[in-house]
Amino acid sequence: MKFFLNTGRTIKQGSFVERKNSPAYLEEASTLRMNPVDMMDLMVEDGDHVSVRSGVGEVVMRVRPNPGLARGRTFVCLGPYANHIVSPETHGTGMPDFKATMVIIEPTGNPVSSVAALMGSCGGVPYED
Amino acid sequence: MPGILIRNAFVIDPLSGVKGEVMDIAIRDGKIVEEASTDAVVIDAARCLTLPGGIDSHSHVCGTKVNFGRYMSPEDMRAGRTARKGVMHVTSGYSVPTTFGNSYRYSTMGYTTILEGAMAPLEARHTHEEFTATPHQDMLANTLFDGNWSIMEAVKEKDVKRAAAVVAWTLSAVKGFAIKLTNPGGTEAWGWGGDVNSIHDQVPHFGVTPAEIIGTMIQANELLNLPHSVHLHCNNLGVPGNYQTTLETIGLVPDLNRDRQSLYLTHVQFHSYGGSTWRDICSKSEDVARAVNNTPQVVMDMGQIMFGRTTTMTADGPMEFKLYMLHHNKWSNHDVELETGSGITPVYYGRKSLVNCVMWSIGLELALLAKNPWQCLLSTDNPNGAPFVKYPEIIALLMSRRFRENERKMIDPRTEHFVPLFAIERELDWYEIAVMTRAAQAKALGITRIGKGYLAPGAEADVAIFPLKPDEIDPSVDYQQVMAGFSRTRYTIKRGRVVARDGEVVVEGANSTIWTRANVPPAYDMSSDPEFTKKFEQYYTVRMRNYPVQDIYLPRGVRIDTEASL
Amino acid sequence: MKIEDVVCPFCGCLCDDLVVQVEGNRVVNVENGCTLANEKFMGDHRLETPIRRSGKKWERISYDEAIAETAGILLDADRPLLYGWSGTYGEAQTIGVHLAEVLGAVIDNTSTVCHGPSIMAIQEVGHPGCTLGQIKNRADVVIYWAANPIEAHPRHMSRYTTFADGFFVKNAFRERKVIVVDVRETDSSQIADEFVKVNPGGDYAILSALRAIVRGKRDIIPPNVEGVSREQLFRVAEICMAAKFGAIFFGVGLTMASGKYKNIRNAIELTEELNRHTKFTISPMRGHWNVYGSNEVFTWITGYPYAVDFARGIAFYNPGETTSVDILRRGECDACLVVASDPGAHFPRACAEHLARIPTIQIDPHVNATTHLSQIQIPVAVTGIDAEGTAYRMDGVPLRTRKLFQGSHPDDLEVLEKIYAIVREAKG
Repeated sequence: MKFFLNTGRTIKQGSFVERKNSPAYLEEASTLRMNPVDMMDLMVEDGDHVSVRSGVGEVVMRVRPNPGLARGRTFVCLGPYANHIVSPETHGTGMPDFKATMVIIEPTGNPVSSVAALMGSCGGVPYED
Repeated sequence: MPGILIRNAFVIDPLSGVKGEVMDIAIRDGKIVEEASTDAVVIDAARCLTLPGGIDSHSHVCGTKVNFGRYMSPEDMRAGRTARKGVMHVTSGYSVPTTFGNSYRYSTMGYTTILEGAMAPLEARHTHEEFTATPHQDMLANTLFDGNWSIMEAVKEKDVKRAAAVVAWTLSAVKGFAIKLTNPGGTEAWGWGGDVNSIHDQVPHFGVTPAEIIGTMIQANELLNLPHSVHLHCNNLGVPGNYQTTLETIGLVPDLNRDRQSLYLTHVQFHSYGGSTWRDICSKSEDVARAVNNTPQVVMDMGQIMFGRTTTMTADGPMEFKLYMLHHNKWSNHDVELETGSGITPVYYGRKSLVNCVMWSIGLELALLAKNPWQCLLSTDNPNGAPFVKYPEIIALLMSRRFRENERKMIDPRTEHFVPLFAIERELDWYEIAVMTRAAQAKALGITRIGKGYLAPGAEADVAIFPLKPDEIDPSVDYQQVMAGFSRTRYTIKRGRVVARDGEVVVEGANSTIWTRANVPPAYDMSSDPEFTKKFEQYYTVRMRNYPVQDIYLPRGVRIDTEASL
Repeated sequence: MKIEDVVCPFCGCLCDDLVVQVEGNRVVNVENGCTLANEKFMGDHRLETPIRRSGKKWERISYDEAIAETAGILLDADRPLLYGWSGTYGEAQTIGVHLAEVLGAVIDNTSTVCHGPSIMAIQEVGHPGCTLGQIKNRADVVIYWAANPIEAHPRHMSRYTTFADGFFVKNAFRERKVIVVDVRETDSSQIADEFVKVNPGGDYAILSALRAIVRGKRDIIPPNVEGVSREQLFRVAEICMAAKFGAIFFGVGLTMASGKYKNIRNAIELTEELNRHTKFTISPMRGHWNVYGSNEVFTWITGYPYAVDFARGIAFYNPGETTSVDILRRGECDACLVVASDPGAHFPRACAEHLARIPTIQIDPHVNATTHLSQIQIPVAVTGIDAEGTAYRMDGVPLRTRKLFQGSHPDDLEVLEKIYAIVREAKG
C-alpha cells in the first residue's frame, strides 16, 4: 500500500540521541506510526515488521498504531531509519524532503537492523561499544 | 620593543594646542614619550599630515542587530569581499562588513577607537564577542536604557539616585561604557506596536514621559561621575517637522559638567527636518545649529547621509517599521525584554530623491553652521547614513565649496529651495577636521583621561599619518586628493605598533575594551535590592546570576572607575 | 556539590535555571530539567579514547596521533567539508571557521537540515522577532505552527509561553490563547485552544488565505483550504487581529515540507501584515542547542550564517550548492570533519554512503551513527557539562555555560586548536 511518510522529533528520540547503539534508541527510531485502520488493511499488528520502500531505498521497521494520524499517513521519528529512504534531492535549497516521502509499505518477516548494521550497509564499519 | 621615532610630521593635535607644526613624535612602550630610544625605528613622515588616531564616537559595528544585518543580507556581503591575505582574514560586506572587514577598513583609514552606538544589556555578551573579533580598534559600548523598566519606575518615583544605582549595576554587569537612550519611552511603547510622538507623551503603563526620562538620566549620569554624558538618540527620528522635538530636547539640558557636555545628541541630521509631510520636508539645520551654538552644554554628531545603498539599523524599533512602510524593502525587528528594541531595513539614498537630497544637505549644513567644531562631530551613524568608508568624501565636501557646487549639479534641482546649503561659503580647515574626527570625540567621551585623542607625552601612541601635505595642497580645489588621502593612511600606529601601511593591515591586532564602573555606597547596590532582583525572578527569562558578562569576554579590558556622589 | 543556575546544553531553549548535583566527575541529580535535560546530564556512556578504523576493525589510538592524522587528512584533501558545530560552543566554532578559511574548505552547520530554509526566507523578507521574555510578559496569543514543543522543546511552554505568567499577563493559562497548526495531532495540539489541522504540504495555502483575510479579502476564500474550513480560518484571523501581542513560533514542519523557504517567507509576510493592525512577532524553534550560535559566529566572521565555501579564497555562499547534503550527494568532498553533530543519522542515506567512502573524522563525546562511517573519532568533553563556553538561545540571547567538573577528556576548543596549529604551520 502507498503511504505518505512524515518525520519529526519525539521525546524518546531526544532522550536516547546520545546512545544510538542502545536498544531504546533502536526501538524508537525504527518505529513506524500508522492509523489503526490502515494497519487492519495491511493485516499487520502492533510490533509487526514492515518493509518501507521509497524511490531511493528500502528499510525494515516496526509498526505501531497511532489514531492521531489520518489514513494514508505515517510517522517515524527523525533518524537513520527514516533517512535510509529519504532522497538527497534538495531542489536547490540544501534541504531534503524529510517530511514528504511517498512510500510503499508491506508486511515482512525480515528483521530490523541495528543502527550499526544500517551504517554498515552504507559502507561503514560497525563500532560496538 | 625598540619604539618608533616619527620625523618631519606635520602635526595637528588640537587637545595639545598644536595647530599644524612640523615636528618629531617619539613612541616607546605604547606611549608617546619625550624622547625616543636610540634603537627606535625611524619613520620619515615627509611633512605629511599626522593626527592622533581617529575616534568614531557613534558607529554600529558589533552586536546582535549588526550581525543580524549581515545575516539577512547576503547581497550586501557579496558587495564587498576580500580573500585571506597575509595576516588578514577573509572579509565580506559593504554597508555591514564582517568584524574583520570593519576593523581592517577603519584601520587603513587611521581609526584606532570606536564606540558601538547601541548595546542591549541582555545581549551584551554578543557585543563583547564581536569586539574581540574587531582587533585593531579599542572598543566602547553605549548601553541602552531607553525602555528599561527599573529606570522608568525610578523616573516615576522621581528618584534620581535609584536611577543612578540601576545604571551603575547594569554598566558594571554588562561591561558597558555609557548611558544610551534611543527614542526614550518609544521602544517600550513599541512593545505594543506603538510609539511616542513628543517628549511629553506618556509611555503606556509606566506613566512617564521621554522628557522625564532624559532629565532624570542626565542627573543620574552626573551623580555617577561617568566619563561620558548621556548619549541621546532623540524621539521622532526621521519624521518631518521633528526639529521641534530636537529643539525642545536641547532646551531641557542643564549645564552640569565643567569638562564636557551634559548631553550628547547623536545623528542630528535625522532630527532636523521641517515641514509636515514628505512632500514639504525642508531643512531646519539653521534653527538646530543656532540652538547648539547657544547651548555649550550639548555636543552633536552629524549623522550625514551619502548617496548609495546602505543598511539602517537602530534600537529605535518603531522608526524602522515606519521606514519599512515607506520603502517596502525587507524588515527585521528585535525587541529585548524589559530593556529596549531594535530594527533593521536596507535603504537606497538616491540623488534623484528630493527627500534624500534634503537629508544630504542638512548633515553638511549642521557641520558648516556649528560655530564650534568641538560641538559637531563627523559621523554617518555608520551604517545608517552611509558606511564609514564615506568619511573621506564627507571631509572633502566640508573642506571644499567647489566640490559642493559640483555635487549640486548632480542632485535634484529643487533641492536648493528647501535647504540653505548652497548659500554657505564656509570651508573647514585641517584643524577643524582634526577636531571633528578625533580630538572632540575624545573630549566628549571623556577618554582623554586614559590617553586618547592627543599626541603629547603620556598619551596612548595611536597615530595616523596621511599621504597629504597640508602646505602643498589646497583642499578647496584639490578635494579629490583630500578624499584619497583620508581613505588610506601611509601609517596607522596603534598603541605604539604599526598596524596598517598604505591600505594593508600588517599585524594581528590586540585591542582593548574600555568600560566604566561607578562605585556606589552599599545602600545603592542593586544586586541585593528586592524590587530589582524581583525583575529577574519574575520577568526576565535569564537568571540574575547568568546575566553579567564574565571577565573572560574582555581579554584586555580597561576599566574606568568613578566614585558616585550618592 | 549542588550547582545552581546551570544552563542546559540540549535544545535551543537554553533553560538556565537547572540545579545540578555533582559527585566527583559525575552528575547524580538534576532539578528543574525536562526529560531531555535529565538524560543529557545523567548520561554516562562516553567514548573513552580516540579510535581509528583499520580495515574492518577499530583500534584505540592516542590523542596526539588522532590529531596529527586528522590534520594530515585535511591537508591532503582538495575539497574538505567541515560540518556540524551546533553542539559545541562559540569559541570552538570560531576556530572551526578559521580552520576552514586556511584550508579553503566548505564549512556548514546543522541549520542546513533544520532552519536553513528559514534563513533563506529571512534573507528575502527579514525577520520581525523579539526575545522570549517579551512574549512571556506580553503575548495574549501564541501560535505554534508545524512545531511540537512538548516533544522537541519540552519547557518552552512553561518558561516562555502557554504556562508562563508575565508582567502584563498575570495568569497566562487563562489569559493567553494558544493556536496549534499541524498536519497531525500531537501532545502540543491537544492543549491548544484552537487546533488547525492542515493537509501535508498545505501550509503555504493556509498562510496565503490568512494573509488575504487580514487584508480584508474574505470573499475570495474558498469553503475549504487544504483541509481547513473557511470558518476556522476566519476565526483564527480574528483571534490574531484582536490580539494585543501575538507571537508565532514555527518548526521544521515548515522548512522541510514542500515549499520549504517559501512557506517561511509567507509566514513572515503574514506577521508583517498583522503588524499593520497590532503587534506580532515570529520566531523559529531552533532545535539543536547552540545552532543559532553557529549562525552568529559564522556570520560575524564570514558574512553568512551557514554553507560557506572558501575554495576561491573569499567567502562564498549559495544554498543548494554549498550546502552539505548537496556536496555529499554530488560526491564532491574528499574528506569530512564532523564536529558535535551526527550526519550519519540525520542526512539521507546517499550522503552517509559518501561519508563512508571518504576519510571522515568525527569529534564528538559519544558513539553515534556517524561513528560507524568514520575513519577516526576523537572523544571530547561535553559542552555545558565538563566544558564551558558561549551559546546563543533560539532568540539570540547569549549565555555562558558552566563547567560542572573537571573531566578526563580535552574539550572541542583544545582539540581544534591543535589541529588548526598544525594546518597553519603546514600552510605557512
